[in-house]
Amino acid sequence: MKPKLEAYYGLPNEVKFCKICVISNQRPNSTIEFKSKKGEHKKVINFNKDGICSACVYQAEKETGIAWEDRDDKLRALLDRFRSGDGSYDVIVPGSGGKDSAFTAHILKYKYGMNPLTVTWSPHLYTDIGWKNMQEWMHTGGLDNILYTPSGILHREMTKNAFHNLLHPFQPFIVGQRIIGPAMAQKFGVKLVMYGENQAEYGNSIEENTNPIMNMDFFSSDNELDMNFGGVSMKEYIDTGRYTKHDFQPYIAPNKQVLIDAGVEVHYLGYYLKWDPQECYYYSVENTGFNANPKRTEGTYSKYSSIDDKIDPFHYLTTLIKFGIGRCTYDAAQEVRNDKITREEASYLVEKYDTEFPDIYFKDFLAYIGATEEQFWKTIDKHRSPHIWKNVSGEWALRHTVSKRGTDD
Amino acid sequence: MRIAIVDYDLGNVRSILSAFDNKGAQVQLTNDRNKILESDGVVLPGVGAFKHGMESLKKYGLVEIIKEYIDTGKPFMGICLGMQMLFNESEEYGHTKGLSLISGKVVKLPRKNICNEKLPHVSWNEIKGNVDNWPNTILEGIRNSSDMYFVHSFVAQPTDEGHILSTTEYSDWNFCSTVKKDNIYGCQFHPEKSGKVGLEIINNFMRICEK
Amino acid sequence: MKKIRVLARIDVKNEFVIKGIHLEGLRKVGNPNKLALDYYNNGIDEIIFMDAVAAYYDRNTLSDLIERACADVFIPITVGGGIRTTEDIKNALKSGADKVAINTKAVQDPDFITRSSKIFGSQCIVSSIEAKLVGQNKWEVYTDNGREPSGKDVIEWVKSVQELGAGEIMLTSIDHEGTKRGFDINLYKHVAKNVSIPIIASGGMGEACDAANLILGSNVDAIAIASILHYQIDSIQNIKNTLIDNNIKVRI
Repeated sequence: MKPKLEAYYGLPNEVKFCKICVISNQRPNSTIEFKSKKGEHKKVINFNKDGICSACVYQAEKETGIAWEDRDDKLRALLDRFRSGDGSYDVIVPGSGGKDSAFTAHILKYKYGMNPLTVTWSPHLYTDIGWKNMQEWMHTGGLDNILYTPSGILHREMTKNAFHNLLHPFQPFIVGQRIIGPAMAQKFGVKLVMYGENQAEYGNSIEENTNPIMNMDFFSSDNELDMNFGGVSMKEYIDTGRYTKHDFQPYIAPNKQVLIDAGVEVHYLGYYLKWDPQECYYYSVENTGFNANPKRTEGTYSKYSSIDDKIDPFHYLTTLIKFGIGRCTYDAAQEVRNDKITREEASYLVEKYDTEFPDIYFKDFLAYIGATEEQFWKTIDKHRSPHIWKNVSGEWALRHTVSKRGTDD
Repeated sequence: MRIAIVDYDLGNVRSILSAFDNKGAQVQLTNDRNKILESDGVVLPGVGAFKHGMESLKKYGLVEIIKEYIDTGKPFMGICLGMQMLFNESEEYGHTKGLSLISGKVVKLPRKNICNEKLPHVSWNEIKGNVDNWPNTILEGIRNSSDMYFVHSFVAQPTDEGHILSTTEYSDWNFCSTVKKDNIYGCQFHPEKSGKVGLEIINNFMRICEK
Repeated sequence: MKKIRVLARIDVKNEFVIKGIHLEGLRKVGNPNKLALDYYNNGIDEIIFMDAVAAYYDRNTLSDLIERACADVFIPITVGGGIRTTEDIKNALKSGADKVAINTKAVQDPDFITRSSKIFGSQCIVSSIEAKLVGQNKWEVYTDNGREPSGKDVIEWVKSVQELGAGEIMLTSIDHEGTKRGFDINLYKHVAKNVSIPIIASGGMGEACDAANLILGSNVDAIAIASILHYQIDSIQNIKNTLIDNNIKVRI
């Protein structure tokens, strides 16, 4: 009998693929990022007894089990509660100007009569197309925006640590991104924060879907010094003598009780409207001057998804290394669920693009985290879980792929 | 009503088959001598180069078969390249001999106004002629100056002007767009691609075959 | 004076017509055979079927569709997307297509245009070119349905394809495609100066006067339209009437 291969991060030992889309059972759920520690176990997407992932189960729900007219009524009732009568901002829409936030902010303003203030937690390094779309969001979409950029010195060090310790360079970014909505709400005296998509679209537990209010723990913390950034606690950063608590201002979540007392509520538009990312693309082109990437995004076939940050491709590279899931798998799985492509087509695309190395911004990424190529590959290879990767004559290959072309398939 | 479409590995055959089928003919694609000779009407389609077309006809032994069919006096129609091959020769890609069933040659479409008018001539364009000569031909009942679909760079120049049934103007030049010699017809345009008017022409051909 | 042709461009994925923006997105908008028949009955001059995902899946699958279309639609049909070999061309023509549109393969292997036009005749070979604006009066050729930049300059490339033996050019502006904001008239003006084979302009038509503006502002021979028809924004008759009102000849 074959010996069981070790599975890092507490991932399920057997690699399985959803029967409907192409996601694997190794996909981790969203976590409370600032509690992320090195080597911790991941909770993963659920597969039911028919081998179908929870995102697909939720999609079926969306198609037939939800009365969207009722949800729209609920949305209007919610917005009626918060709509300002005096011209002040009444909803905070966090986002970078990508298709999802462009759609969310625009529709709230022009269809539902709200007065949104969009807030952007700055990408690490804006791509040209990302910056252009961000500007168009304002100039053509007709929206107000605050762009908040954290100091690069600390952010880069955190990102570097996150890369080497967690192989999750986006971890510090996500902390800030989750916080900015409620933080800005508190500063501006606005009570409603509206995000676009619900993470359950992508496979978080279904219970989260029935509750429109985002889990408060995601963004509020009780003891700040324990917060982890790149596997290093705030206290440890400060103890180096190079930082003080001042530097952590962008990352400190508002106090939970303060938010509750102020009546701040965080909602997902995806709970109230039937969410289709590709339709958000169409909408944002037609209404907010959005432009797709001029060429195919590396690691996938698409041109419209997640194109504003030069570091973004390395987020997907690390999910590929840790979980065997690259950018194409995420895009294709979403498009299968939304009936744009078939599973067979998705498998073909994943086979073609998932493991494509993101060359274009590789040098930018190395410069950003101050690493040499050698250091980069050393860290990458350390994080390859034996149950996902096999070294075949010096080349790394996936043991299992959705088209069954892995070394062990 | 049996119509044979000559099969020589070239030509937009499906459209022609559909067009005749649409008008109720029993149509087949063939290069078999017996089937061709037994048909009530034969059509030589054409998309491609003259030289290649003639070589293919020779390969299938069709040159003799077509001539044999023509001698029966039953109606024959060449379309586009099929019309061009009826003549003596063409200057496309060097000189090539044709079927020499109608006297004349095939030349590059002469243009007086090169800047504005391009080659190939790809366009809907009007066929014009003396409508008094049109009854009992494939143009019977067709409105003068009807738009037909053309796509070609070469045109046939019949030696005998009496064989010209319609002309079409392009770049200040009038070329022969429909030709008739006894039982042989040629259309430089594509009747099977010219909408409902084109289907009328096909219907006319079938009526002639009936007689 | 020549007659301007009005073509319907139908992008197909499996059994659906899809319509994207900037050659991206797979929104389903109808049934290909039904739309082709509708447009034929309403006076369209030609149909172009493009396999929208041939580049993704390294295949081409429009034969069945073309065969069915030919049974009822008696105007010229062009098929494109994934035409990679002379066998592909032969099969397309055998299914009933009159012309094939070739892009990616021609960029990778320019001689393919020459070989194909020698066998099938240049009038059969449409060079499909996807253009992206990259500077002032400067456009780059893209392949794989607007996904991969080729490094080639559009003006240089159109001159090449004419020399190689293409019969027509279908020139799509990636920037305008699907946006309904009008054609990239500047692109066509510059290209038309450099070639003498017919040009079909594709990408951007949002209302009838866009066509008139394009034709009055450049020397194109035909327009390929999609969104305006698939989304039923305007009718073929109205578009043609608008051209006639502007002294532009069309087939009635």
